[in-house]
Amino acid sequence: MLRDAGGTLALVGFFLVAVTFFSFVTRNFGSASNFENLMSGFSFMAILTIGQSFPILMRGIDLSVGAILALVGMTVFDLSLMFGWPGWAVLPAALLVGTLAGLLNGALIVRLRLPPFIATLATLAAYRGLVYTISGRQLVPGLSTTPIRDPWIIGLETYYDIGGALGLKHLIKLPWLPLSFIILLVTLLVFRFLLSGTRFGRDIYAAGGNAEAARLAGINVDRVTMAAYATSGFCAGLGALLLVARLTTSTEELGKGIELSTIAAAVIGGVSLSGGIGNVTGPVIGAFLLGVILLGLTQAGISQFVQQILTGLILLIAIGNDRWQTARRDRARTETLTGAS
Amino acid sequence: MAGNALPLLQALGVSKSFGAVQALKPCDFRLHTGEVRALIGSNGAGKSTLIKILTGALTPSSGEVRLEDVPLPPGRPDQIIRRGVACIYQHSNLAPALSVMDNIYLGRQPTRRFGLLDRKRQRRQVVALLQTYGISLDPDAIVGTLPTVKQKEVEIAKALALDAKVLLMDEPTGWLAATEVRKLHDTIRLLKAKGVGIVYISHMLDEIFAVCDTMTIMRDGQIIAETAVANTNRVEVIEKMVGETLARESQAAANHDRRAAAAGEVRLSVRSLGRRGVFHDITLDLHAGEILCLTGLIGSKRTELVHALFGSGPRHSGTVLLDGKAVRFRGPSDATAAGIGLVPEDRHRDGLMLGMPIRDNLVLSILKRFVRLGRLDRAAITRTAQASLSALNVQPPDLDRLVRQLSGGNQQKVLVGKWLNLGPKVIILDEPTVGVDVGAKAEIYGILRRERDRGAAILVVSSDLEEVMTLADRIGIMVAGRLAALRPATEMTMKDVVSAIGAEPGMPAGMA
Amino acid sequence: MTRNDNLRAFATRNALGLAMTVFVILFAAAEPAFLKPENLIGILRSQALVAIMATGMTFVIMTGGVDLSVGPVLALSGVVNFYVMDAGWGLPLSMSAAIATGLLIGAANGTLIAALNLPPIIVTLAALSIVRGSALLLGGPDLHSIRGQPVFTFLGSGQLFGLPFSVVIAAVVAALMIFVQKLTPLGLLVAAIGENERAAWLSGLRVRRVKVLLYGLCSAGAALAGLIQTSQVHTAAATYGEFGTELDVIAAVVLGGTSLSGGTGSVARTMLGVLFLGILNNGMSIMNMPINLQLIAKGIIIAGALAAAQRSAD
Repeated sequence: MLRDAGGTLALVGFFLVAVTFFSFVTRNFGSASNFENLMSGFSFMAILTIGQSFPILMRGIDLSVGAILALVGMTVFDLSLMFGWPGWAVLPAALLVGTLAGLLNGALIVRLRLPPFIATLATLAAYRGLVYTISGRQLVPGLSTTPIRDPWIIGLETYYDIGGALGLKHLIKLPWLPLSFIILLVTLLVFRFLLSGTRFGRDIYAAGGNAEAARLAGINVDRVTMAAYATSGFCAGLGALLLVARLTTSTEELGKGIELSTIAAAVIGGVSLSGGIGNVTGPVIGAFLLGVILLGLTQAGISQFVQQILTGLILLIAIGNDRWQTARRDRARTETLTGAS
Repeated sequence: MAGNALPLLQALGVSKSFGAVQALKPCDFRLHTGEVRALIGSNGAGKSTLIKILTGALTPSSGEVRLEDVPLPPGRPDQIIRRGVACIYQHSNLAPALSVMDNIYLGRQPTRRFGLLDRKRQRRQVVALLQTYGISLDPDAIVGTLPTVKQKEVEIAKALALDAKVLLMDEPTGWLAATEVRKLHDTIRLLKAKGVGIVYISHMLDEIFAVCDTMTIMRDGQIIAETAVANTNRVEVIEKMVGETLARESQAAANHDRRAAAAGEVRLSVRSLGRRGVFHDITLDLHAGEILCLTGLIGSKRTELVHALFGSGPRHSGTVLLDGKAVRFRGPSDATAAGIGLVPEDRHRDGLMLGMPIRDNLVLSILKRFVRLGRLDRAAITRTAQASLSALNVQPPDLDRLVRQLSGGNQQKVLVGKWLNLGPKVIILDEPTVGVDVGAKAEIYGILRRERDRGAAILVVSSDLEEVMTLADRIGIMVAGRLAALRPATEMTMKDVVSAIGAEPGMPAGMA
Repeated sequence: MTRNDNLRAFATRNALGLAMTVFVILFAAAEPAFLKPENLIGILRSQALVAIMATGMTFVIMTGGVDLSVGPVLALSGVVNFYVMDAGWGLPLSMSAAIATGLLIGAANGTLIAALNLPPIIVTLAALSIVRGSALLLGGPDLHSIRGQPVFTFLGSGQLFGLPFSVVIAAVVAALMIFVQKLTPLGLLVAAIGENERAAWLSGLRVRRVKVLLYGLCSAGAALAGLIQTSQVHTAAATYGEFGTELDVIAAVVLGGTSLSGGTGSVARTMLGVLFLGILNNGMSIMNMPINLQLIAKGIIIAGALAAAQRSAD
């Protein structure tokens, strides 16, 4: 919120710079099909980042989003292929599993008073372990090569030729719009409204920015915390659906290490690790900025190992910047602050 | 002021004991509609105990608090707030990322169905509230971007939105610049005109004289004077805060073991030292073999000054010379290496390792001396620690005792001892005897005099005038971040000191 | 209050010993083979790597930090050692290079954390990604087998005094770190920073420098563990030290009574925590408990211990 206007603009600027840069460095980067790739390939990550923003707004962190992603992915695989559930039943079940996994994170943090990073690190291991346990690929080896064909699920990977429908085809070649991107936009609008238009959203900012003040104002901080982690779980579940639809299958390794990218994207998008500051639009742009960089590097033939290194570096730069901004914000205050007396 | 009308808020015979310690003796406190009452007293005078009883943070041991003659539920802060007694604390109670509007209604924004916010109604209410009290705030501004004074106003509006009839303001100007203070005072006058009763807790005398109608002065856990501000003056107020020490002045002078010989060469020379917005143009010389006491009101930036000297706080201009050489410490380790020690004001937060034994605390700053082939020479540590233990007369003399288990006086002796073990050229002590019993106080004075006679240069920051008169060879007085006076103790009486402390900021000492 | 603190510390210390005794009796009763010497030595052997890493981690956690990057450092160390050895530089140099790599990574982490005041979780999380990526870049995803290096093989697979040599190394490292904690200035500095960082700084201690050193030591421990693991399995790979390594290490430290919010801690008690985890793992396997149940049981026990430790730290 604090960095809304200037910050978002700067982010969009960075995004355009990155696109321009890669358009010059690699062939076809600026092509319509490449933008389709970008939109369909990173919408799921942007949704995960929206989710990640909630724990960070609460001055916490969710390291388990990748594991929840895999857990939901495997749930879809099992329900659809092993149990033959119809897609319209699988979808809500998948979202429920994600939300419950997030809720459990929140419960560990609130009830056992564990630090968020250790609670979600533990559930990261636990959920990933659970994925191996319930993996339909191992339980029914024959299924591992069977793609998911349920139209409800696969339907999530649909493209709309907006340019064609509008008759612009002859003027300019526009990328087809993936349904996953539309789902992302809807998710963004919903959570944006949730943050700015509902009491729950106000309570998140209050509890994340100044927990003591929130408590004094009668806000149930524990419940808000639970809800924040449940939101992260829900978004991980939704992201999993999009990813599974794209891959038409799921694996035990799905989403490994993605927590790093989502944290980086959220912090790049202006969500401060000191809590209570940020929104969900910035993180979505942050996710696509990261997406452009990763996609561009892939097309420039840079190894994915270098990308892993770069993701880590980007995260470091993002938190360095966050810390600097926080310090700058506090400086005016400390200049006149009377140290001890 | 309606002198005999029914008071808005009254505390009748309230007192508070913690175990055997009586923090607040039974006292009466009254506040009328539209009255701004200052509550003043030095640290430990019982102000905060009284305030906590009024807000319900503490349950009184006796007595009751009545608002408009209706008793308030003791020890129930949530209910007391809703009945109309609000407190604005020094630290912020706002959510920085939210708008003014949302902060005013934090946690109780008006909603429609499904938890959707009713923005229109909220805005209407906020605008009406701000208009009623004449507070100019943009309802949509994000609180974190507002200057501190505006944030204070948001806190005030937040309290008023809860229909506050009484506002307790604890050091409301602590973080404000001078122009901002004036703005806040304008707001207070508006509230007063609307009939809000205000208790203004502050160490800043000029603010009190600017905005308050009446004042209550506390000392040693009781109310010792109540007066209209118009009927008193700064010097009188300070005398009352300081207490009967004036009467004891002659005794203090008698106790005073001033150094017979003239002080030695200049150890620490401070030239036009400044920190933006905090202290300015401080110039003083600290000699070997003297005790220089810096006194002044709380908030006159003495603590900030000594931290700047020790490398643990910022400085922006001027120079510091140690033995004639310019020094600029990047941190306390540099200062320590140069032979300077600092006994900080808050010994629990900044000074001691409470969970570690006396032995370790005593040698923490000189560990290097005990390293033999990479190993700590435990026997040598014990010898050194044992020697300081006896020299300082720490009770009980048990090196393995955790510092947490010692009395305040003995903790302070350990902290002083840690720096004495350094064999310091300069030792700085910030309020060295706060919370220390009389016996230990005398012992600490003895230790400091011994160090002085050894040739150390000693700088003591103290608000305790009796201590200053007893201990100082020279007295420096700080007023609002400036060194207002610096004279030999023999040339100053307690009365001179009091009037210099109470001088208007910016005026040369002696004119007030 | 102080007596209570002592009592509580005393109880915490004994709770672990007590729990350990209970589990030993339980496992021995259910499966007598549990108490056979070879099984007991097996427990030690299985925990040697965790033990080495947990010593350094204890110091880091005592200062209120954490190091999530030990797993990839372990892998990178093995790969660095392989390549230097492969290039014919000889064992002393290759092993030094590996340990130095760890030391440098840790020092970099420590510098970002102590000098720039960045949060340890995020810094070491980023390091996790950077170091893993570097290891993979250097070694690729393949296994590199090590042959014809009898001295190096001895490191992980040799025997000394009837004990696996890896256990001897772990014991020496633990003894050394206990010595450091109890008898050198560093031990006192770590305790002081854990107790009250601000007061330590105001006492003239070089807090930042110490923190950089501690993260360096922690990573160097992980690098040593990487050498031993490479030697045990005769291969180096960039994928070793997979996710979960850091969890085991952190769990051992916390079981040993060090609070995640910093403060007092003891390397000796961390070793008890390491042993406890080893007994738990081994006992459950020997009782043929399904691996899922094992993980769940372990998770519950660790979460319980963590929660209890947090509660007593508050």
